[in-house]
Amino acid sequence: MLEVTTNHYIWLSIILFSIGALGVLLRRNAIIIFMSIEMMLNAANLLFVTFSRQAGDLDGQVLVFFVITVAAAEVAVGLALIVTIFRTKRSINIDEINLMKG
Amino acid sequence: MGIFGLAPLILLFPVIGVLFNGLVGRRFVNSNRSTGEKWSGWFASVMALSAFVIAVLMFLALQGNGFEAQIVHVFDWMHIESAGFTIPWALQVDTLSVTMMLVVTGVGSLIHIYAIGYMHGDPDFSRFFTYLNLFLFFMLILVTGNNYLMLFVGWEGVGLCSFLLIGFWFGRTDAQGQAMNANAARKAFVANRVGDLAMILAMSLLFWTFHTLEFQPLFDGAVEMFESDEMVHFGAFSATLGSVLTAVTALFLMGAAGKSAQIPLHVWLPDAMAGPTPVSALIHAATMVTSGIYLIVRSNVLFEIVRESGALVLGIVSSPDLVAYVGAATALLAGLIAFTQFDIKKVLAYSTVSQLGFMVAAIGMGAYVAGMFHLVTHAFFKALLFLGSGSVIHGMEHGHHDISHGHGDHHDHFDPQDMRTMGGLKDKMRSTFTVYMIGALALAGIPILAGFWSKDEILAHASEHNFVIYVILTLAAICTAFYMGRQLKMVFFGSPRHEAAEHAHESPPVMTTPLWILAGLSVVGGFLNLPFLTEGLAAANDHHAGGMWLALEGWLEHSIEAFHLSEEGIVHLPHTPLVLSPVVAGLSTLLAVGALLLAFYWVYGRRPETAEQPDPLQRTPIWWFAILPLDTLYMGYLIPAFNRLAAWLANSIDERFWHDFVHNNIIRDFFVGFASFASNVLDAKGVDGIVNGAGKVAQGLANVIRQSQTGYARNYALSIFLGTVALLAYFLLMAN
Repeated sequence: MLEVTTNHYIWLSIILFSIGALGVLLRRNAIIIFMSIEMMLNAANLLFVTFSRQAGDLDGQVLVFFVITVAAAEVAVGLALIVTIFRTKRSINIDEINLMKG
Repeated sequence: MGIFGLAPLILLFPVIGVLFNGLVGRRFVNSNRSTGEKWSGWFASVMALSAFVIAVLMFLALQGNGFEAQIVHVFDWMHIESAGFTIPWALQVDTLSVTMMLVVTGVGSLIHIYAIGYMHGDPDFSRFFTYLNLFLFFMLILVTGNNYLMLFVGWEGVGLCSFLLIGFWFGRTDAQGQAMNANAARKAFVANRVGDLAMILAMSLLFWTFHTLEFQPLFDGAVEMFESDEMVHFGAFSATLGSVLTAVTALFLMGAAGKSAQIPLHVWLPDAMAGPTPVSALIHAATMVTSGIYLIVRSNVLFEIVRESGALVLGIVSSPDLVAYVGAATALLAGLIAFTQFDIKKVLAYSTVSQLGFMVAAIGMGAYVAGMFHLVTHAFFKALLFLGSGSVIHGMEHGHHDISHGHGDHHDHFDPQDMRTMGGLKDKMRSTFTVYMIGALALAGIPILAGFWSKDEILAHASEHNFVIYVILTLAAICTAFYMGRQLKMVFFGSPRHEAAEHAHESPPVMTTPLWILAGLSVVGGFLNLPFLTEGLAAANDHHAGGMWLALEGWLEHSIEAFHLSEEGIVHLPHTPLVLSPVVAGLSTLLAVGALLLAFYWVYGRRPETAEQPDPLQRTPIWWFAILPLDTLYMGYLIPAFNRLAAWLANSIDERFWHDFVHNNIIRDFFVGFASFASNVLDAKGVDGIVNGAGKVAQGLANVIRQSQTGYARNYALSIFLGTVALLAYFLLMAN
């Protein structure tokens, strides 16, 4: 039987992070990009918890709380921004937000 | 050095006079006319008298030290080590220069005093005395210099002062509106300049041959070279000493012709009479015109060497003989022209030229002492005559002033100098008449008076050595007596031919006193070289003139080296044992008295009675001389040709070549071309290119970089991501 070691958790975290990063880079929809950002944050959380369990320490899990708080705040602000942009441009395709071109 | 050390003061006093009158004199005269004139005029005269005192001191000092020449060195003027060229500023006090000093300062002082009266009322009073003192300064440099260059400084200086003084009234114009005085001054200066050119050439030759210009070393060197029969070398070209000195002496003759008004440069002297009379008396009778004579007497060694060597000018005649012939010809020609002149001063001017001819002829024949003797006596009576004529002119002017004040017509062009309007002045101007008579008789050569002794010494010498010259000079002497008789008759005798002459009156004492002094000198001046003074003195001095003692000759022979050289047999000075031949003297007296009487009674006995009547000689061939030979030639042909040449040179070379071609085309075009090159190429393309190029580079760079600003959030996100990856990779790899 395969033993589930710390390495598996790290691999999972990497995969999650990569998917999230690629999502940020490749998706057009702003909400999907936010979701991908959340996924990256969650990957980081997973990593924190894994090493906390491995070290037998609770410092990692405390940091997770911080990360979740920051993620929540950031999402709130970000969604507010998207709603505002949608009100003006009637679209949340980020390719269309290029007024800073120049 | 003792008293001789005072010699430079003789130059200092006139300089002080120049500075005083030049700087502050005008203020004195303008503030208070009568006292100002006294200050200005008397200061200048006192300076002249002080110079005279110094000259007398030098005379006495020479008596005391055995008549040895003394050189008073003041400072080194020019010194070029590599060429061995040294010209000192030194005064040579010897008997010859002291003679000249005494004449110049003595007669000069008297003329200064006379001029105080003559120039009374002239607006430029102080300027006149500035120039007079300046003239004294230069003339004294001329006679006291111990080298040819110093003599030349004085030479040029007196030429300048002559110009300044002749042209003193430079605004004066004649009836045709021509500038009389200015033209006369310029004519004098140009004629002098021709002589100056000859002088410079002569001095250059002398320096090249002897490497010095100081008199004593030069003459010693010349004698040495002559005795040793050396050839003179000019680089690749060599010549005998005789021919070199012939050239030098001929050039000296040319210089003397310019200064002393000999043919062919005599033309300036009569025109110079336009200047004030004291100027005519001082410069053109007594001093400046005698500088040519002084030059030749000073260079007697050179002339005698030439005579001895037998070298000829252009193969025709030897240089000293040429001098004698030029002098004699001038004497006769000028004497004949004097017959035809109506201006009282012009008669005296031509008389001066004639008498200078006598002196030049004398020194050309080797009678240096006779020439100097005549120079001294002539200074006395010619100055007297000129000052006397000035007195007459003054009287005529005052007479004219008096009558036109009454009648109110000042506008007829009255010439106070025209003898045709004079007459009968012997009653109106007693003093002037008496002294003028003395002067005229002295000039004519009446026995006892000064002119007789000096002129007859010259004639005696000529009769012994050169019969042709003797004849010419005798004829000239006859002319002298004749035209003086004519002048006396026309001016003083008969009855007045114009109202101005009727109202003429005598001149003030400040003018007549110098006249009397000069008259006295004209009477006793002859005793300077009297052939028989005392037996005792004759024996004591055992002189060349066969035991007869001659004061001036004894005095001068200490400076005239030719005498000593002649004794040693190096040269053979044509010396006359007899200075007064009874035959010659008797004949000349007879002829002179005859000519005087002829003029007085026969030719001019009755006529002219009125001013308009023609001169009795006008229908004779003599009147041909009224066209002024040589002068009309110069003014009619030479000067216009020269002017045309000068105008052509000015137009073609100066105007068309230099201005138009070189200046405009070459210089201006080059400059403009360079300027446009600098502005268009260097500035516009070069500098602007660099500056603008920098801007363009920046712009291009910006254009390229701007392309990264797409405005796409995803592009920015990608670059953040890549940056993070790179950073992580770096840290991970570096950690190992």
